[in-house]
Amino acid sequence: MKELTLELALKMLEAAERWARDIAGFPCSIAVVDKSGTVIAVHRMDGAAMATTDIAIEKAWTAVAFKMPTLMGSRWLDPRNIGKLLGDHAMGMIGRGKGRLCFIPGGIPVTDEENEVIGAIGCSGVPSGVGDISDTTVSQAGVTALYE
Amino acid sequence: MAKNLLKTGVKKAEEMGKRCSIAIVDDHGWLVALHRMDGAPIPTAEIARDKAWTAATFRISTSEVPRFGDSRMPGYGFNVQNWNERLTTIPGGLPIWKDSHVIGAIGVCSQTPKEDVLFCQNILKDIFGEERYLKPKKRLARRKYGRR
Repeated sequence: MKELTLELALKMLEAAERWARDIAGFPCSIAVVDKSGTVIAVHRMDGAAMATTDIAIEKAWTAVAFKMPTLMGSRWLDPRNIGKLLGDHAMGMIGRGKGRLCFIPGGIPVTDEENEVIGAIGCSGVPSGVGDISDTTVSQAGVTALYE
Repeated sequence: MAKNLLKTGVKKAEEMGKRCSIAIVDDHGWLVALHRMDGAPIPTAEIARDKAWTAATFRISTSEVPRFGDSRMPGYGFNVQNWNERLTTIPGGLPIWKDSHVIGAIGVCSQTPKEDVLFCQNILKDIFGEERYLKPKKRLARRKYGRR
């Protein structure tokens, strides 16, 4: 699994969509990008808000650019970190992100067997803070499907 | 519906041995689904999206956009160059008509614009079974050009 192909991306999308529809119960947008951060496939489920596609793409881009889940970035921006080095660095990064950087939880990088990042998946549209039902868990469902 | 269109499109492209990006947008120009095939150049994804946006919002095929330069046509003088970052004049985007309403648009970016248009038409023909996406208005405009 050196490269994320369209076939694999669609497999991830399908699993994530199924999870979002059947378990989370929220329509959302899901995007898969390759290791250069460019889009392979995007799906907006029926009923999802129109802004969610762009946010999902941005989340996936951020996940692949930083090689870590966007959940980490959102932790940097915790109010307790503002005014400290970590929080201020994160704020500065947002300014330098060419408008693409998005530290909202929901993007997860995808790695191959050698732990190299080969792409990322991003999800947007699930209201956060509903227990285990969040953008991140929808993305996780997609990643899990890839490794099965 | 969008998934159906994309599935047909990807299958057709694979048959023809082409690598392309296909974008589907809704009637307001917002992305519903986008697929970039393996090996398709990176910018094709954005260009396909731009084509679909233009076709959906103007309710004309993107090859008709240059008609804004003809003083005898409605919309003359429209600033095609600097309107926004999405508007494109590259042929390859077609609106999808259903019962005299635009329900969305499809944009394809692969090789030459002419091939893209044919490709779009093939996909729509496969799904809808007839050339219902060709509006009478469009044919009239063509005839006018021909007489000149």
